[in-house]
Amino acid sequence: MKAKRIVSLLTAGALVLGTIAGCGGAGGDAATQPADSGQTEAKADTGSADAKADTAAADAGSGDTMEIEVYDAAANYQGLQTGWFDKVVKDRFNIDLNIIAPQVAGDAIYQTRTSAGNLGDIVLLDAVDFADCVKAGLIKDISADIGNYSNLNGFIDQIKVYNSGLEGNNGEIYGIPTQMMNTSPTSYSQDVIYSSPLLRWDYYQELGMPDIKDLDGLVDVLGQMQKAHPTNDAGDPCYAVSLWPDWDGNDNMLGIANVVQLTTWYGEKIKDSAILKADGKTFTPITDKTATYYKMLKFLNSLYKAGLVDPDSGTQDWNAACAKMSAGQVNMFWYSWQVGFWNSQERLDNGTAMIFVPVDDQNYYADADPYYGSGRVFGIGSGVDDAKYKTILEFLDWYASPEGLEFEHAGIKDFNYTVGSDGKYTAINDNALMDNLNVPEEYGGAGYNDGNNQINEWIVSANAINPNTNETYAKDYWSSWKASTLTQMKKDWAARFGAAEPAEWMQKNNKLVISPNVTVPLGSDTADISVVRNQCNKTLCDASWKMIFVKDDASFDSMWDEMTATMDGQGFQDLYKFDVEKWQPQVDAKNAVK
Amino acid sequence: MKLDKKKIRGYREFLYVLPFIILVLIFAYYPLYGWVYAFYDYKPPAPLSPDQFVGFKWFHYMLDNEIKRKQIFQVLLNTFAISGLSMLFSWFPMMFAVFLNEIQCQPFKKFVQTVTTLPNFISWVLVYSIAFCVFNSTGVVNSVLMQLGIIDMPIMFLQSSEHIWFKMWLWLTWKNAGWAAIMYIAAITGIDEELIDAARVDGANRWKIIWHITIPSILPTYLVLLFLNMANFLSNGMEQFFVFQNSFNVDYIQVLDLYVYNMAMGGGAYSLSTAIGVLKSVVSIILLCVMNTISKVTRGEGFI
Repeated sequence: MKAKRIVSLLTAGALVLGTIAGCGGAGGDAATQPADSGQTEAKADTGSADAKADTAAADAGSGDTMEIEVYDAAANYQGLQTGWFDKVVKDRFNIDLNIIAPQVAGDAIYQTRTSAGNLGDIVLLDAVDFADCVKAGLIKDISADIGNYSNLNGFIDQIKVYNSGLEGNNGEIYGIPTQMMNTSPTSYSQDVIYSSPLLRWDYYQELGMPDIKDLDGLVDVLGQMQKAHPTNDAGDPCYAVSLWPDWDGNDNMLGIANVVQLTTWYGEKIKDSAILKADGKTFTPITDKTATYYKMLKFLNSLYKAGLVDPDSGTQDWNAACAKMSAGQVNMFWYSWQVGFWNSQERLDNGTAMIFVPVDDQNYYADADPYYGSGRVFGIGSGVDDAKYKTILEFLDWYASPEGLEFEHAGIKDFNYTVGSDGKYTAINDNALMDNLNVPEEYGGAGYNDGNNQINEWIVSANAINPNTNETYAKDYWSSWKASTLTQMKKDWAARFGAAEPAEWMQKNNKLVISPNVTVPLGSDTADISVVRNQCNKTLCDASWKMIFVKDDASFDSMWDEMTATMDGQGFQDLYKFDVEKWQPQVDAKNAVK
Repeated sequence: MKLDKKKIRGYREFLYVLPFIILVLIFAYYPLYGWVYAFYDYKPPAPLSPDQFVGFKWFHYMLDNEIKRKQIFQVLLNTFAISGLSMLFSWFPMMFAVFLNEIQCQPFKKFVQTVTTLPNFISWVLVYSIAFCVFNSTGVVNSVLMQLGIIDMPIMFLQSSEHIWFKMWLWLTWKNAGWAAIMYIAAITGIDEELIDAARVDGANRWKIIWHITIPSILPTYLVLLFLNMANFLSNGMEQFFVFQNSFNVDYIQVLDLYVYNMAMGGGAYSLSTAIGVLKSVVSIILLCVMNTISKVTRGEGFI
């Protein structure tokens, strides 16, 4: 009897304990915000323990490290910055960067943090969100102090132009645009453009380097390539294209991300639900059968009908698609950065790399140098105290200084590059990022990639000119780099097309539509429009994927018509009207610059 | 004096349950506050303000033209079909438990039970990765079929919308059957041995014992679970359908919960999603009450 009582008492005690523990969790969960910061604090603790050891070793006697929360729409990493970049920043400012990444944590973190009234100490957002946050009072006015910081002040014209566009602004400065340049809003300083057809050079040579007249010609060439090389060296099947659906509907796009990108091959640019025609003035709905979205979708469908589309395209994710690119299973790329997954120095040397091959009837769209910035904006949270505020401004000023930019874009001196007697830089260890090489001991000795700058966005573009060298910050345009990468393949390419670089060929042949860089604030969606946008986007994407995989033109067209009818029912016409009004000021500004 | 003692005991027992009442308040009632979003034009980061109040606008919005009605109808049809299918086959875990119980070889029985219970603990995301590895164009199934010469083009299993409701039921059963059987196995263990012995003496064989003793004894458990499931008719969860959805099957796989998620998280239609969520809860409560009444009529007792 007594034993029974003890057991029941114990059970009751355990239950109560469990409940209390549950309550502890519950309190945190009910308000997601504290739970979240609790987590980051836990991480911060272990981090700063390491950090303290580090700093103690490096320079004894420094005070407590200040933690700066960076809400970072560009980051692919969440948590404390570690490794060599952390060391560089801590040595100068004695701060820890705690990065909060919506791309890792999910977009819901934006909603919870904004409704809690504190997004972060440093805030990096897309322009539309930034304007909303200024309106909601989450961003600090920095107009009184920015003039004291010479590096930021160097871009004051561009910064002022951006801020003057914020709704109801009377000269206050809230935001600092990203990737600004010191060239001009209409120049184009890169060798390649963001999207163009890139083919395997050796396969193209095997076919006798034929002229490609139009998209049908391209399908034909890709078909011959696949026939000649049905598998890669490992025996896995090759395809002309391998698509992936996970980016659909991001970044001012409606529809399949891959198709949206292809539309720039004909000089058109998709602005949400509207397509800006090649003349840079007129809009047409994305559902227009004579416009490029339809045309490029049809192109992918013809590839499918010729058996050239990876059958897993609609169900795989980016990682799966990327693995196929790195394994040489894909014969055509269209993003300029995709070559990073295939073109190694070795492949450039033996001619098996991917490179731009022109299609005669195409006319490529490219955004001009981001003189006024690339669309994202840095700001400072309205909740920071004075000491933190000062440190953040100092940090941002350094972040835009030549010294900071060399670390951000070129890496570590004598590890990523050496300085010649003429003051020019020469890249070394160019596999540091890919192979995560260990950095020198004075920078902590850990992997280069692990310690790389996780903010992943820059106030000044990598293609801006470094005053120390009069060359760009990025190694790709250093004279030493150009000399070392002039391979036989590049020479063959130049001989075949009569230009040194793709962008040069396009400009020479009048095939490049450069859209001037302007900064015009864009209206944000009303609650109604965001519902319509979401539903129309879903309908468009789902139907588009199905249309890529249909077997005949008749069903392609009937699906297109059905899709258009459904979208109209979901309010597409209102959305189109809204988007044209939204983008018209930007288009006007661009035409004014021209 | 006696009354006081009773009163004190009452207070004490109230204190025992108080933590649970608080838990229920926090997790079940406090979130209901979020329903206010259904009546506003809400868009983050701006906080709610009275001038965004729009009344029942979002409730009307769902049905205000032919296309939207068609879409909602399709979503409801999917929900009902998938729930209906699992209801139709809800005897499956019960029969599985019954047959499992008939296995005499203990190690084998334990093995089967473990293997069938294990998938319950795998997350749906992992289930999909397994499915992708097995069924993609170069996956195991297609490779085997192609090497045997049965097909010459890979079959896109995951990309077709054919039999999608049934396929979803199969995946669900593969994942859940073993787990669901545990309840029935417990019920079977509770059957009085004497009943079975008596039946044996009367000359009943194994089939007859199953039919006349085992099944009738666990039927009440089955019915309670069935009724509870019916009350949950509209909520078939979203994880499974979320991971399996793609542009090719979305028309037939999008159930109510997934639809709400796609609307809110896909593009910030928080108010509309909340409105749908509110409607769903209301309908679920009605369903629960109806089921309870049916239970009272048929079994003589309700379950709430």
